[in-house]
Amino acid sequence: MLKSLKRSPAINTPAVELKDVSYRYPRTKRWVVTHLNLRIQQGEFVAIMGENGAGKSTLCQMMNGIIPNSIGGRLAGQVLIHGLDTKATGITELATKVGIVLEDPETQLFTTSIRSEVAFGPENLCLPVEEIKERVRWALDVVRLTGYEERMPTSLSGGQKQRLAIAANIAMRPDILVLDEATSQLDPVGVEEVLSVVRELNQKYGMTILMATDASEMIAKLMDRVVVLDQGQLVCDGAPRQIFADTNLFKRLMIRAPQVSQLAAQLKEEHIELPVFPITVEDANQGIQEILRETKSTPLPVEDKRPLGKQPPAIQVQSLNYIYQPFDVHAVKNVSFEISKGEFVALIGQNGSGKTTVLKNLLGLLKPTSGKVLVSERDTNTTPVAEMARHVGFVLQNPDQQLFAETVEEEVAYGPKNLGLGKSDVNARVERALKLVSLEEKRAEFPPALSKGERAKVVIASALALDPEIIVLDEPTTGQDYKGCHQIMQIAQSLHAEGRTVVFVTHHMALVAEYAKRVIVLSGGEVLLDDATDNVFSKPDVVRKAYIIPPQITVLGQALPASLGLPRTPLTVLTMKQAILQHFDHKGKPS
Amino acid sequence: MSALIAYYPGKTFIHNLDPRAKIIFMVIVSTAIFMVQKIYIAAIVLAFMILLWFLSRLPLKVLWGFMKVLLPIIGFLFLVQAIFYPGTTPLIKPLIPLGRGYGQITLDGILFAVLLALRLMAMIIMLPLVSFTTPVQNFALGMVKMGLPYKLAYTMTTALNLVPILQAETGVIVDAQRLRAMQSFEKGKLAEKLKAYPALVTPLVIGSMRRAQLMAVAMDSRAFGASKSRTYLEDIRLRGRDWVFIVLSVFFAVGMVLASSLA
Repeated sequence: MLKSLKRSPAINTPAVELKDVSYRYPRTKRWVVTHLNLRIQQGEFVAIMGENGAGKSTLCQMMNGIIPNSIGGRLAGQVLIHGLDTKATGITELATKVGIVLEDPETQLFTTSIRSEVAFGPENLCLPVEEIKERVRWALDVVRLTGYEERMPTSLSGGQKQRLAIAANIAMRPDILVLDEATSQLDPVGVEEVLSVVRELNQKYGMTILMATDASEMIAKLMDRVVVLDQGQLVCDGAPRQIFADTNLFKRLMIRAPQVSQLAAQLKEEHIELPVFPITVEDANQGIQEILRETKSTPLPVEDKRPLGKQPPAIQVQSLNYIYQPFDVHAVKNVSFEISKGEFVALIGQNGSGKTTVLKNLLGLLKPTSGKVLVSERDTNTTPVAEMARHVGFVLQNPDQQLFAETVEEEVAYGPKNLGLGKSDVNARVERALKLVSLEEKRAEFPPALSKGERAKVVIASALALDPEIIVLDEPTTGQDYKGCHQIMQIAQSLHAEGRTVVFVTHHMALVAEYAKRVIVLSGGEVLLDDATDNVFSKPDVVRKAYIIPPQITVLGQALPASLGLPRTPLTVLTMKQAILQHFDHKGKPS
Repeated sequence: MSALIAYYPGKTFIHNLDPRAKIIFMVIVSTAIFMVQKIYIAAIVLAFMILLWFLSRLPLKVLWGFMKVLLPIIGFLFLVQAIFYPGTTPLIKPLIPLGRGYGQITLDGILFAVLLALRLMAMIIMLPLVSFTTPVQNFALGMVKMGLPYKLAYTMTTALNLVPILQAETGVIVDAQRLRAMQSFEKGKLAEKLKAYPALVTPLVIGSMRRAQLMAVAMDSRAFGASKSRTYLEDIRLRGRDWVFIVLSVFFAVGMVLASSLA
């Protein structure tokens, strides 16, 4: 029965068709998706973009009938997969048509070996053992995990885990693969790994791919089509070049366009137009060379970026080693660095390079196996964490594990109360902290019910209420959309401007380039580079060793011929724009 | 403490046993341990369990981790036995004379506490000995073959899988509280610690609910529970060595009970 139903759709039936679909979750009144119409043909490679809360995940989970068949709620209209209405189709049948990969690898891997993980789906389909074996072999081959069959999923890197999740889905031989923010927790190289697998599935096997993501540089390079959602409605649908050129849309919705597109958009405002609207480095490289051919090169004045006068140290790490027990994992090897008061430092490196371990040692959450850590002149080995917390505000990765209270106000007051401050002092601190993150109006709300960006801000405010001189942020931007990322980084920037020392970890290299003054690159538990931000990104081959890819605008700077006299390592779109504008100023009149 | 449910890959004979043989071993032997009344037999049983631990090539540090958790419980046992065991060979004068031998530390009381401690340790080792050497999906398969519906077996093992995740999560939440200058976890009195725990509940419950919901999405997407039965890639089969192991387990269990009741 199953076999005969499979792969028998009429030629012209679209792979996915949404007819006037609206949806609301059970026990809620708000429609999260309204009157959505969408047709996707077999073999298309489609990106779904939009802010957090725009309805991307909801759309993804509609594809295989999880919404509404498992989750419930009210779905109006029709979702048709190869012409089959999801509401009237069983999960087995849908599972063989649509695979889905989620954001967090931990929630979608259940077994203890890679082989059994991939076999899990086919086993549930009651396939014969020989067929299962063949499918496992094929799926692991496609995601390049052949030879790893006996390994435990927990021993894999983030990128490998997501590839395994893809294998586990394609082993059920779906025609459609949905990836719901499946790359947002990965480091840049992990993102590349996953995308190259997905691309092969699309090109070689003709699989329809729907991917909710804001990795716009990848979208520009790989995908055919972009669908933009805003507040549950489809606001834009077209080819990447067409979509990214619509600069008003991106400004209004705060969605991340490729940096070269941002550059072109900003130049356009100055009445300088590139011959073709660029979405990739190659496009931009060609275009900029063309418009600058006629202009004279002007050497840029060398800025002096050295800080004036040496500040006393805020953080001193001396030959730090950390070994995790019971497996003797040597996570941090002989790491030494010093951060002066008032610095703004990014700590970067691949997942598992030791960043979080180093940060935890700064507060005494972990005690050095050997070596010494002095923070605000206190030895973290002997100072209690609660005491360190007065000097260092440490925001952990996942906000949801750091919200304990009934209201935002109580949440922020939790720390100052622990310090034993009087009521008026506590209130004053809460006020100031809420103001710093602009959450004064949400003070009475239940923290877990806030949006993702707001939850992160509550946690930051809670750390700030202790009035620490140092702020440490561990991946504050993971899972945040473009708007959330910049809001969080702007808070960090204002703290830095107040004279506080800021240290942060992130995988978003554009944010590192834009905000950090100094970058420490960790690789395999060791310091690979420690230098001013532009110096670090000017060594792409060294950085690549740490599995880090510089931001697109920096790559463009390095790709352009040196003879143009443009900055070699531009860190922001603004720097590049200003450099190009200078050329035109020289000529007297913009083109 | 390291997680109770984890899998340590290996190729030792214990790893290779059929999960059913291991489940039977665990049930029979732990029942028998309850009936052991002699210290030296309990000591032999414990030594045997440690031997099996070595033979499975499980890390010794993990074993030590378990023992460290047991220490306070054992200490408590000693205290209770010292006070309440009606012994006849007093070592120290009664601290609190309760009459009829109660309240004094007696040799009998200490020996009984030693017996209890040995039994407890032997039993506690068995659980990780089995769970660490058996892939969780085989454990589930073992239960299915013993007659449990597969949805129930998988739900049980998935729940067990969540234990280490919850443990790790609790650790992170406690850290988050310490970072907000909460001192109770470091130097607070027991009463203060207890007061700090309720704050763990909100993030833990909300986190677990979110996780459970996403796991359900992932499992449904892979057709879990789509039909009453399913196939298994790796079948398990009771082979000669498994039967030998089961028979030996029975002998071992009966032997320890008999030896304990003789003379």
